Amino acid sequence: MIDLTKTNTRLWQEITDNCGDIRKCFNCNTCVAGCPAAEGNPPLLIRNLVRKVLFGLEDELLDDETPWLCVTCSACEEMCPMGVHPFEICLEIRRWQSKNDETYIPAATAEIFETGHTQAVGQVQEKRKAVGLEAVPPTIIKFPELLKKFQEMLRNTDIVRENDYMFRS
Amino acid sequence: MKYGLFLGCNVPAVRPDVERAIRLTMPRLGADLVDLEGSACCPAFGSFPSMDETASLAISAWNFSIAEETGVDLITECGSCYSSLRIARSKLLESEEKRERVNKLLEPTGKKFRGTVKVRHLIDVLFNDIGPEKIRESIKYPLENINAIVQYPCHTLFPSEIVGFDSPSGRPHMFRELVEALGASVQTYSRELQCCGGAGGFVKGSFADASEFAFKKLRAVKKETDAEFIVASCITCLQHLDRMQDELNKKNNDNAYSLPVFDYNQILAVCMGFQPKEVASISTISRDEFIRRITKVIVS
Ligand code: SF4
Ligand code: SF4
Repeated sequence: MIDLTKTNTRLWQEITDNCGDIRKCFNCNTCVAGCPAAEGNPPLLIRNLVRKVLFGLEDELLDDETPWLCVTCSACEEMCPMGVHPFEICLEIRRWQSKNDETYIPAATAEIFETGHTQAVGQVQEKRKAVGLEAVPPTIIKFPELLKKFQEMLRNTDIVRENDYMFRS
Repeated sequence: MKYGLFLGCNVPAVRPDVERAIRLTMPRLGADLVDLEGSACCPAFGSFPSMDETASLAISAWNFSIAEETGVDLITECGSCYSSLRIARSKLLESEEKRERVNKLLEPTGKKFRGTVKVRHLIDVLFNDIGPEKIRESIKYPLENINAIVQYPCHTLFPSEIVGFDSPSGRPHMFRELVEALGASVQTYSRELQCCGGAGGFVKGSFADASEFAFKKLRAVKKETDAEFIVASCITCLQHLDRMQDELNKKNNDNAYSLPVFDYNQILAVCMGFQPKEVASISTISRDEFIRRITKVIVS
């Protein structure tokens, strides 16, 4: 049984900045029917996540890892008949989780801070030369002075300031 | 026609043969490519967009400002880059507050988001700016009597309001016509519009189920079509459909799934007569025999 007197009834206002009015969600299941990650184990069920948010079930929501299964295809975003923006909800829940539990913060974030990329773009020189390309592509990896500016910019963001031990240059 | 080539992370690092193919084929069709010097990750949905929206928009704005300084629209192959940048641009244009916050972060770097350039996907540019006719005239080795299936990149379809260019977005045809311009017949099948399932955290978080999701698609291709190859136009679709055939073969302990998977600009480059070892050399399922059949040239 859920004790509704112990829930955060303002939760939906805290985390749905970019969504439509999620109170309009009538649990129709359209966002689940077309969702690849609804075939996961456990499945990603946006309609249930919307319920958790609306009821203010913070603990359940914080422990729920299913938003991270989303493949970002936006089929739900297209199909939701109520303009709720299910994909954006998925991202909003991830942001809320990352803010409340730093272990959610994906490693890719620190990689982007360090190198500007999620892949070792600067360390595949032979592979690139073999196909007739410049050894290092003309991205931020080739311009250390720009990377420095990029990192300075990110140092002024909340997520880097609050978790500075994760972000090294 | 001039475009700023947005590379992202996966194309230049994991499949540079795709980058090579784009760099060779587009100018041949009159679309000159300019480098976006100093561009970074789009950023990927599973990184900053999942943690801090302002930081995420600042990174996208960093990328936009480079294209704006050069005065060109961004063009990209990767579906995730395309969608991430399109969504970021729309958020920035919609909200003055977000724009101001992001420009404050950008200011010390000497950059600024103005909103003057667009983000285009390669399929859009190939179809709408160049056109199938010009592509048909550019090729040396047509794919006559060869059946294909196409993998429409989900990130170019939905949400149609923000990323769409095909009409209607949910029943796309442009990509199919581009492949037909190479001479191939494109077959349809029940799971044609199912996304590849390779993006985001599905594969990492639920490997067996994510694989099964891709296997369903591959089984439908085998059962319902006579496809001899697959054409993608997204780095994730390209890698995932390649890898998942290999996984399915391992599971079945045979070699029943061996359809070569090409990015569109790769197969275009091969048909134009560019060196396969430069434009289509990295894959799990071998493409050599298929290329030999088209070009009648021995691939070494
Ligand atoms: S499709 Fe929209 S209205 Fe239907 S359950 Fe999902 S979020 Fe709610
Ligand atoms: S965007 Fe995510 S939640 Fe929506 S349908 Fe695709 S995988 Fe499911």
